[in-house]
Order: sequence, then structure tokens, then C-alpha cells
Amino acid sequence: MSDFLDYGFVQRAVVTGALIGLSCAVLAFFVVLRRMAFIGVGISHAAVGGVALGVVLGVPPVVSAAAFSVAVAWVIGWIAQRGRISEDTAIGVFFPTAMALGIALISLSPTYRQDLMGYLFGNILSVRPSDVWILAGLSAASLGVLSWFFKEFLYLGVDEEAARAAGVPADPLRYLLLTVLAVTIVASMKLVGAVLVSAFLVIPAATGQAIAGSTRAMLGVAIASALAAVGGGLWLSWLWDLPSGASIVLVSAALFFAALGAARILGR
Amino acid sequence: MSVVVRVRDVWFSYEREHVLRGVGFEVAQGSFTALIGPNGAGKSTLLRILLGLLSPERGRVEVFDADVGGRARPIGYVAQRVRLPAGFPISVAEVALLGRYGRLAPPRRPRAADRARAAAALERVGMAEHAGRRFSALSGGQQQRVLIARALAGDPDLLLLDEPTAGLDPAARARFYTLVCDLQRDEGLTVLCASHDLEVVSAHADRLVLLDGDVRAAGPPQEVLDSPALAEAYAFPEPHDHEAGNPS
Repeated sequence: MSDFLDYGFVQRAVVTGALIGLSCAVLAFFVVLRRMAFIGVGISHAAVGGVALGVVLGVPPVVSAAAFSVAVAWVIGWIAQRGRISEDTAIGVFFPTAMALGIALISLSPTYRQDLMGYLFGNILSVRPSDVWILAGLSAASLGVLSWFFKEFLYLGVDEEAARAAGVPADPLRYLLLTVLAVTIVASMKLVGAVLVSAFLVIPAATGQAIAGSTRAMLGVAIASALAAVGGGLWLSWLWDLPSGASIVLVSAALFFAALGAARILGR
Repeated sequence: MSVVVRVRDVWFSYEREHVLRGVGFEVAQGSFTALIGPNGAGKSTLLRILLGLLSPERGRVEVFDADVGGRARPIGYVAQRVRLPAGFPISVAEVALLGRYGRLAPPRRPRAADRARAAAALERVGMAEHAGRRFSALSGGQQQRVLIARALAGDPDLLLLDEPTAGLDPAARARFYTLVCDLQRDEGLTVLCASHDLEVVSAHADRLVLLDGDVRAAGPPQEVLDSPALAEAYAFPEPHDHEAGNPS
């Protein structure tokens, strides 16, 4: 284990992974409560279109992916809010459209295909020192928003109509949560990749839900399991030369099934 | 007795279809008024207008002598059952504490006094012993009592109930309305409740307002129950249809 942590790139991966794991775990709590798992899938795939757009326009891919993902998230939220088309239908339209746009644009820039694999499947071991600060800033911003509006997001998730009646500004907060979701997804692409990030936005909270008896405990278990998945996944990735995203999600899933087993034994 | 809710000539439509057509009535302070009417009569729409969730196309709504948007006094609201993700571990105490949201002082973190108020509200509805349990593990009737506690935690002067007993068995429905009546009497609450439960609400309410697009009848329960407008609004079959064994 000490050999593993001796390398600078591994240290950066562990720090970045811990930061992203923390913000994903807190966000996952609301993704599960508000049944937003599918929208997470939609936004993460739309982010690939954003990366491709950045390549074609000569803009840093993380910036274009963030802007594109936020725009797609808002459009999905706006369409769903109008009520003429359901949210899952709107996601079903935008998810393949944005992904197709990404594939089409990338096909025009063949030299970029290798980097795209990193965004699709994650390669946190290639994180540069400057990336650590950017991702730390994004994670801190996400955590700050989620922490400040925790009560409001909780009330809206439990009973939106009663929350609105109590004066909670539901519509602005909905778009704020979609923005945080989109930004967190883009920040997490380096860690687990666009294909697997949606799983990382659900599994930690599902692990917490399986075993915890209160929201506070659920949040605690979600954070602990996300951090354990990042640490364990990176170690396995280094040990067996596996893609970091896949190994992190597999460890996360193993923790979920262990929690289900423990819950059964404890009679929860 | 002063008037808490004043509804005057309110119109509202969904996609050009008028749901409310010139609705007007008043709710007296400390009363229990039941808003009855068939499906699509506009009961829930009217409650949403009172809560400020919808704006009427025409007409005026005043709550505590102020327009809905500018109301300063809190309104407690309980609707049909809350649908949480299966097994979501929010506790009964946490649900009750949500009712303090509108009362939190900067920096908007619940303090000991807020928790004490939520605990007292749970005690008042007989759910204090369940405070640590998962909300989703309770029966439907118990969940509705907790939602009443959540509303009480906000120290409301007016309680709006929208089909609060939908899906509950008759005994749970009767217990629920008995609790609401106790709160009305003991806490001085004004209650406005939209309900399909003609029999149960008329046994507990002081006044019925029959809504079917507009107000068809209003007054003491027996007077409204005996009015021809009730049979017309609900399209009750003529007695001889049953006697003749004709199912139509």
C-alpha cells in the first residue's frame, strides 16, 4: 500500500477522487430522494456532446462540457415543468441527441478519439496538479450549495406542494439542483467517466438507504461508502491495471450489496 | 366572528376549460368548513389558489385580510399521502421539523426551540412515541397524523386540508377528523377541508360548501345534504332505479 501512495499521480488521484466522491455522495442523497437517477444518465451522456463541441470550437473540453450539460439540464427541467412532455421522455430525447452530436463531431476530429475514451470511461490517474485545484473548487462549490439549501431540497423532495406552500422557492431551487448535478457530473468525468458517473450518483446513497435509520445516517454511510469506493477502486486499479472508473464503481456496488446483506441480518 | 378566508368571484381554467366559474364564499374564524363536490369540481384548484400556488384569472382571494401573495400569517397544509421513495429513511421527527421551515431565523438552522416545537406537535397528535421511526414504516393514518403535526409545528392560524383521508379505512378516517375537530376546538384553528367523505366530514364540520365549478349550496351540514343541488352535483341515481334492480 505504501508503494501505491508514493507516486505523485496516485496522490493526486486519491485527493481528487476523495473530493469528487464527497460531493457525489451528498448529491446522490437528493438524486435518490427526488428520483433523478435517469436525469443523471441523460446529463452525463450529454456531457460527451459538450466535450466534442469544445474540441471543434477550440474551447477547453471541461468548460464546454459544463456549459453544454447545464444547458441540457435546464432545457430538460423546463420541458418537464411545462408538463406537456414528461421528464423521462424529455431525457429520452436529449440523451441520444446530445450523444449523437458528440459522436458526429468527434468523427470530424480523429486525433481526439483517445482522449474521448478518458472522458467516457474515466482515467483519474492522468489528473494534472492544476486539475486538482479546479476539481477541488467545483466540489467545494457543489458541497456549499447542497449544504446551504439542504433543508429546502429535503422539504421539496419529501413534499413539493407543501414546501411551495411554506414559501420554499421551488422553481429556482430546481434549476439550482440541476446545475449542481450537471457541474458535478462534468467534474466526475475524469474520475469514473461519463458512462459510469450516473452509477456513482446513485449507488452511495442507495447503500446508505439500505442500512441507515435516519437521513443523517444515510448521508454518513453514503459519504463513507463513496470514499471507500474511491480508495479501494484506485488501489485495485493500480494493483490489477484496471480502468479507474470501472474499479471504483465495482467496489461501490460491492459495498451496496454488503449493506443489503447487513440490513437483512440486522432486520432493517 | 371575523372572517379568515374571503373568496370573491374567482375564475380559473385549465387549457381554456373553466374549472372555477365565479366562486365566492367566506370562512369564519375558528370554524371547520368542508369543501365538498364531485371529481373535477375545482376543490383542489381552489385550495391551491388560497395557498398562492395558482393565480386566479379573475376575482379576489383574501386570507387574514390580505391578498394571498402578501399573507404574513402562516397556513398549515396537508394534502393526500406523501409518496417517498420506498424505504427512504426520513424519521417521523424529521418530517415534523420540516414544518418549522418558514419560522427559522438566520442562519436558518433549526435550534432547540424549533425541535421542541416539532416534538410538541407530535405529542399533540399522539405520535410522539413514534418520533424515531421511519416515516415510510407508518400506516397511512399515522402518516397523515404526522403531516398534521408538521403543519402544527409552523404555528398556523389556518389549516388547509386537501383530501387528507384518501385511501384510509373508515376507522382511520373517523380518527383523523376527530383529531382535526379537537385541534379546531382546543387550538382555536380555522379549518378548511376539501373532501369526498360526505358522511364523515358532515359529521364533523360546522359548515359545508358544495362546489361544482361554482358554489351550488352552502350552510350547515344537514341543510346542504338535504338540498337538491347535492344530488344534482353528484348525479346520484334516482331511488326507483335501485328498487327496480336496474344497475344503470
